Amino acid sequence: MKAATASLPEALRPLELLQGKVTPGSLDDQVLRFPAERPPRAWYVALAVTLTALGIGGLCICWTLYYGIGTWGNNRPVAWGFGIINFVFWVGIGHAGTLISAILFLLRARWRNAIARFAEAMTIFAVICAAIFPVLHTGRPWFAYWLFPYPNERALWVNFRSPLIWDVFAVTTYFSVSLIYWYLGLVPDFASLRDRTAEGWRKRIYTVLSLGWRGAASHWVHYDKAYLLLAGLATGLVISVHSVVSFDFAVSLVPGWHMTIFPPYFVAGAIFAGFAMVVMALTVVRKTMNLSNLITDNHLDVMNKLILAMSCIMGYAYVMEGGTAWYSANPYIQHTFMNYVSGFYGWAGITTITCNIIIPQIFWFRRMRRSIPAMIFVALAVTLGMWMERFVIIVISLHQDYLPSSWHKYIPTKIDFGILLGSFGLFFTLVLLFARVLPVIATSEMKASLPAEKERQP
Amino acid sequence: MSSGTFAVLGLFSDAHKIVDAAKQIRPRQLGRLEAYTPYPVHGLDRAIGLAPSPLGRLVMFMGVIGAGLALLFEGWVSAVDYPLVTGGKALFSWQAFVPVMFEVTVLFATFTAGLAMLFAFNKLPFFGHPVLHSQAIKGITRDKLALSIEASSAAFDVEAARQALIDNGAESVEIVPVPAWDRPLSLVGLLRTIAVIVAACVVAGAGLYAAEKLIPIVPPMLHMHNQPKLNAFRESAFFVDGRGMRPAVAGTVARGHLPPAFATPEEAGTLLSNPLPLTQSIAERGRKVFNDHCAICHGLVGNGVPLLSRAYGGKPGNFLSNEIRARPDGHYFGVLMLGKNAMPSYAADLDPDDRWAVVHYIRILQRAQNAKDEDLR
Repeated sequence: MKAATASLPEALRPLELLQGKVTPGSLDDQVLRFPAERPPRAWYVALAVTLTALGIGGLCICWTLYYGIGTWGNNRPVAWGFGIINFVFWVGIGHAGTLISAILFLLRARWRNAIARFAEAMTIFAVICAAIFPVLHTGRPWFAYWLFPYPNERALWVNFRSPLIWDVFAVTTYFSVSLIYWYLGLVPDFASLRDRTAEGWRKRIYTVLSLGWRGAASHWVHYDKAYLLLAGLATGLVISVHSVVSFDFAVSLVPGWHMTIFPPYFVAGAIFAGFAMVVMALTVVRKTMNLSNLITDNHLDVMNKLILAMSCIMGYAYVMEGGTAWYSANPYIQHTFMNYVSGFYGWAGITTITCNIIIPQIFWFRRMRRSIPAMIFVALAVTLGMWMERFVIIVISLHQDYLPSSWHKYIPTKIDFGILLGSFGLFFTLVLLFARVLPVIATSEMKASLPAEKERQP
Repeated sequence: MSSGTFAVLGLFSDAHKIVDAAKQIRPRQLGRLEAYTPYPVHGLDRAIGLAPSPLGRLVMFMGVIGAGLALLFEGWVSAVDYPLVTGGKALFSWQAFVPVMFEVTVLFATFTAGLAMLFAFNKLPFFGHPVLHSQAIKGITRDKLALSIEASSAAFDVEAARQALIDNGAESVEIVPVPAWDRPLSLVGLLRTIAVIVAACVVAGAGLYAAEKLIPIVPPMLHMHNQPKLNAFRESAFFVDGRGMRPAVAGTVARGHLPPAFATPEEAGTLLSNPLPLTQSIAERGRKVFNDHCAICHGLVGNGVPLLSRAYGGKPGNFLSNEIRARPDGHYFGVLMLGKNAMPSYAADLDPDDRWAVVHYIRILQRAQNAKDEDLR
């Protein structure tokens, strides 16, 4: 096997996805040791930081609830502001997890096994963060359930022709599907945790969560099928969720929004931002949890290549936006497009282009793709750039629309920034807690893809 | 023969070996074959004789049901129960229903795939399975693969099963006894669980209900109600007269309420004529105004016989009398504006078109009650 592949050019050789000798038993000892073992000191420091951010966000949310949406920078015509920017940003972050767990599973990309669980968890946490914003943005969050069509005493129904209700369905479906998918993958790992944990409350929790999973072959038959089906179903969601989010914009008539390129452009951007976040978190996790032999430089290399590819797609989309503006022959759309790089918010557009298109180009070099500082730098740049991109799309388009008499600048307030900080705090708090109590690598999937006993001998 | 044995487990470390062993043991029909593995082993399902999972067909079926239900629901809501035209689209605009249909399809299919697999096909959760209480389970969920020959009849031979597993390469063999308990669910436990679930639902429901009713009115949430504006009839320290509501500027005339340019009905009769053409709709409007405002005193046919009791005592005018019939249209209009005898002014109740319409209607009544021969022809 090895001799056959050694003669191939480097790009065609299968990736070395493990370092050293890894057996199913050693895998369990390495990945599943954490709930029982105390985490390193760095974990507590990190948790203190994220909890502080979460606390600031919580205070700002209480402030918003007490005084109302007037504490935000939203105005007319920029009625969406941070509420929708952060929503689109966080929903996008989740897409990398679904792509890794669904599309790459169907494509049999073996390198996904080591990172799938982590990325799926990030999906769920990102959607939770995203949900905060539209719910607060409704102004009366205690009535948020009015978003759903249910028979009510007001004899009202939702408008099914509105992209906003499509959004409600898309995001709730996305969350439910991601949660089921994640839990399904966790069941065999819960069983492993159950059987290696000493008697006590922890074992009881794992026993209940594992549902009494015993690894029977007659169960694996159905389990495998269900996993495959869910991967197929979630594949549709990768494409659909951010497409539907983009409909919120594309279906309206605001200059800079009413474009057919929006759905694919949003999906690519979502995967782009999500991968950056996964890379950023993985570099930290594999270091602090000593998982470098399972999540190797090769894994990060592949993900960085994907980031580069997505960056190029984004560049194409930006150019196409200009093309649409030019071809529309509409002075308002052209004005909005020029506003992206000049005018009051021009710095935002320039930051977007620099962070999303120019900086990721360093990944053409293999050395950069394998250098931890370089990839953290790019990941931070992409995260900033993608957040800025949503700022550009929402604020620049809205603040100068077709009615010059209503033009108005948008200045976010401290409360806006506080809630954004809080959402990052929530996200990383959940990631840290997840790394502490649940297996960050899908051990049963990894075990199935480990080389068999006789091939494992060095 | 051993009634106390559930199964004999043979442990392997190598996936190829357990598949080979299963292939060897299966034709001997020692008992029901099953395997317990930490990960799905390729080919093991066929080696122990498992049929492929029918889950795919079920998921397909439920997905189609989800799509159909979503379309029906959206159509019923948008076109039947709450028909609301938006953007000039058709009420049943199915193209706009596609995104939600897609999401509901995925939702139905996912719940079916995930939950039916766990709960229906695999009959989980089940914490009482003998293998869960065996010595081998620690290995099974870690790195060992167990081939299990399970007692399927009274003729199960433990020794033969044990020997077969050892002969086919099992590293160790464990005999798993039937667990001491025979009822996995006790009635008391079941009732207790149901009671807890019901209590939790009641508490959660009551809490949500109270929260929904209370939150919008408890002080911190009142800010939407307390708005910096003056309501009518509130006092205000800002204005000299202390009133929140501002009186109209002197000389303001409400639209359609010009003050009369005449002092008496007689004067109105000489100044004004009916500007409205006599059409079916104006006559209908006149009838409505007459029946609502005039008929109570002047009678439904305008003959001056009130609908009220005699105790009322007034003597309303009889529109059918020759004296009143002879008066010009403007005179009627003037009486409506100024009032006459016991009749108050209707200037505030009726706008000018209503007044002229009712004059037309009174003329119709007068002609109907004094019909000439040619009118009947």
